[in-house]
Amino acid sequence: MTDGTVGEVLARALDAYEDLGSLGEEVEDEWTYVTDLQSTWRERFDEVVAGRGAEPVDPRAAAAVALAIAEIGRIEDPHRAIDWLSTFPQVVLLAVGEAE
Amino acid sequence: MRFQDAARDARAVVYAGIQADPLVARLGALLAVASPAERVMARAVMNGETTDPDGWRGMFPALFGDDHSGRPDPGRPEAILEASLAVAGRGEQVRSQFRGAIVEELTARILARRVEPAAIRRERRILFDGVRAEIHPYDVTVEREQSAEAYDCKWGARGIGADVLHQLDDARDHAAEEDIGLTVALVVFDARRSCEVRLERQTAPSAGIGLVTLETLDALGRDRPAMAR
Repeated sequence: MTDGTVGEVLARALDAYEDLGSLGEEVEDEWTYVTDLQSTWRERFDEVVAGRGAEPVDPRAAAAVALAIAEIGRIEDPHRAIDWLSTFPQVVLLAVGEAE
Repeated sequence: MRFQDAARDARAVVYAGIQADPLVARLGALLAVASPAERVMARAVMNGETTDPDGWRGMFPALFGDDHSGRPDPGRPEAILEASLAVAGRGEQVRSQFRGAIVEELTARILARRVEPAAIRRERRILFDGVRAEIHPYDVTVEREQSAEAYDCKWGARGIGADVLHQLDDARDHAAEEDIGLTVALVVFDARRSCEVRLERQTAPSAGIGLVTLETLDALGRDRPAMAR
């Protein structure tokens, strides 16, 4: 089994990011910020996919993203989720070799 | 315009204890010389849920892999990880206070690259003739006759709000009324992209306020910060 492509890894990251966003949206006062934050980072991911989506992913990068996905999967507090809506994309982009 | 120590109320006394904690100084020193990736790692760990160091090492393979080539200080990521986990291990409220104090410490250390240390002060209010003083002090100030700077430090973009923007903008305006150039800025230990999203939705003035983010922290040690927008 291979680790797939950069695009496949980022697709998995985006799926997890959607779930994190749903948790963050529970903070009603921050709904607009949460949705805007998701949009802007999704755009950044899309840029990477457009440029490098078909590139085979380094196994260590794939493992790093899997760990980051597991980390946000542990979050239950919506406020903590909002913190991670900014942090998670930075971790994922670093893992696949993209400096933000 | 003149500077004054903040009132020593109960909150200030408790917070001063956190600011004086050796862990704050240790992380401030480590992060002042850290790479951008190391700073992201520190942010993630101090925001994180897991306290398993191996999990974090695996999440940042470029920092902890076997290939040490090109790394000026291969031991630094490990030191940052250890100290960040020590912060993460505190309770939620204490962790939050530590993170704020760490950004302030980091800001002061980076400013010390271009400003004499005696001019860098913490928890100071700025007073103007005929203007009611703000209650909240500025986290870090640079107090020099020829120029002055005031910084509000935030752990994350979410900390940017109308209150802090108005306070910084008002201080800059009042200083200008006295023909004094006061640089005011936010230092946010978060990605610029997230800060811009936050600022975009603010109706409070931000045009004259500098913005320092994870990506531009080191530039603060070379020059005054660029405007937020």
